[in-house]
Amino acid sequence: MKDNWLVSTSVLIVDDHPSFRAGARRMLEASGYAVIGEAADGEAALEAVRELRPDLVLLDVQLPDIDGFEVAARLERAGAAPAIVLTSSRDRADFGDALAESPARGFIAKGELSGSTLAELTG
Amino acid sequence: MSGLRRALLALAALAILAGVGAAALILTSDHTTPRGLAAALILTAGWSFAGTGLYAWDRRPGNNIGPLMTAIGFTFFFQGLSSSNNEVVFAIGIIGSSLPYAILIHLLVTFPAGRFESRFQRVVVGAAYLTTTVLQLGWAFFIDPTKQSDCGNCPENPILIAGHEGVANAINAVQVLTATFGIASTVAIVYLRWRRSTPAQRRVLTPVVLTGGVAFTILLAQLILSEAGVPQAVEDGTYIAAIVVFASLPFAFLLGLLRSRIGKAEEITTALSAENEQLNAELQAKVEELRASRARIVEAGYAERRRVERNLHDGAQQRLMALTMNLRLARDKLGEDPATTGELLDEAMEELAAATAELRELARGIHPVLLSERGLRAALGGLAERSPVPVELVATPAERLPAPIEMAAYFVVAEALTNVARYAEAEVATVRVERRNGTVEVEIRDDGVGGAELDAGTGLRGLEDRVGALEGSFSVTSRAGEGTTVEASIPCA
Repeated sequence: MKDNWLVSTSVLIVDDHPSFRAGARRMLEASGYAVIGEAADGEAALEAVRELRPDLVLLDVQLPDIDGFEVAARLERAGAAPAIVLTSSRDRADFGDALAESPARGFIAKGELSGSTLAELTG
Repeated sequence: MSGLRRALLALAALAILAGVGAAALILTSDHTTPRGLAAALILTAGWSFAGTGLYAWDRRPGNNIGPLMTAIGFTFFFQGLSSSNNEVVFAIGIIGSSLPYAILIHLLVTFPAGRFESRFQRVVVGAAYLTTTVLQLGWAFFIDPTKQSDCGNCPENPILIAGHEGVANAINAVQVLTATFGIASTVAIVYLRWRRSTPAQRRVLTPVVLTGGVAFTILLAQLILSEAGVPQAVEDGTYIAAIVVFASLPFAFLLGLLRSRIGKAEEITTALSAENEQLNAELQAKVEELRASRARIVEAGYAERRRVERNLHDGAQQRLMALTMNLRLARDKLGEDPATTGELLDEAMEELAAATAELRELARGIHPVLLSERGLRAALGGLAERSPVPVELVATPAERLPAPIEMAAYFVVAEALTNVARYAEAEVATVRVERRNGTVEVEIRDDGVGGAELDAGTGLRGLEDRVGALEGSFSVTSRAGEGTTVEASIPCA
């Protein structure tokens, strides 16, 4: 689907697990996304967003320093925020109201991550 | 009836006979005046001292006060002998008549413990005995009673070395000096003892000090009055008063002595309550320690659950997520790109193997199956095999031990070896687990950098609690540069 786009959506992957980042990169690139960067923690993610100005941030909730909700909130406060999709190996239910209160576009459990589930939230 | 009780009763009977004998001698005396009063003094003083002394002796067999009081009673009857019209008996009476005063000094100086407390006290009492025995005997050789103004009808002195009145006077002068020294010292000793006494001790001393003080005063007054030549009635009055007070003195000693029993009981009560307080404080500390360790054990349980959750999340779960994505991608590429599909499936299998290994490791951390199924030796063998630092198993028990002890010993070794691998920079570690004398001794020793601390978040405090919960002891010896030795000793009947 995205292969038809003139310009691919640029994505920053934020997760502290390299194996997940590698898998997600392969999956998103196979689906036509342009993965322009990876970050392993919250501060690195904020820095990468400033530098790379991605269209989309795939943001893991649990990070070693500040969590994904905080990263999303700070990006929102900074203005001109990219679209943010939170992800986690945990279920939606594990986060209670936090997902609804977050400025993120939505949440995808890691087990359900694919080009199409991402497109549903950002398309 | 005990042997002591029989002996004391025999002494009591003897005291009665001695008193009657002395009284008889006085009442038939040609030279003692006034006979009635003298007999009354001898009998009251002698019997009261002997009676109360024997009673005290019976009640406090280990204390010298009773025997001393009894001795005063008996020696008083010596004075009765000096009333005898028979010159030999008269001489014996003269020689022994001042002995009770020396014993009285002995009694006062050592009351109420019955023991000397200083060399000075021994000197005072020794001087008193010397004065009333050796000096008295010496004086007796030279005194001619028939030449004394107050001894008109006295018998001849059978041991008299006549014509040396001067020697008798000189000896008497020395006696007066030593007696003055003895009395002054005794007053000082009793006064000082009174000064430094506690209220409980004063209750013991008070009867003796009061009665003794009054007796001394009256005796002194009587002495002065008889020298000053006051009317006979006044002299007799003070004499009677002196008798009464002097006779009451042994009761004061007895009262003090019995009070010292009460004082002793109070001391014991005080000591017991102090000991109680000490025990209470120790118990309180123990309770606090238990409370703290219980809280730490509960917290350690929660921390362990958090650790398991995090390990699952960071390890196997992440691998399974990646695996899912790879499989999904492989399915998408199936048919159109067999090479990529093959690569994805290979990666997926690697992730799966890694996830399985991590889950196995995690499960072992939660509960080592090898331990519960095959015992400590096998489980420690497994720990040694997996340890990145070479481990030498010096000793492991062949037999099965109670499950909680096996668990504790296993986790002590496991945690210690984990620390060795993480921090010690060691070449080798040795593990020794031995059952000895009703305890299981666990020792893990490494040749690393040392410097480990119980409270440095190395899990050592948790081990201490685990071992403590089994009434065991736990220690870590880890001087910088000298390796680390972790030791646990767990009771195992």
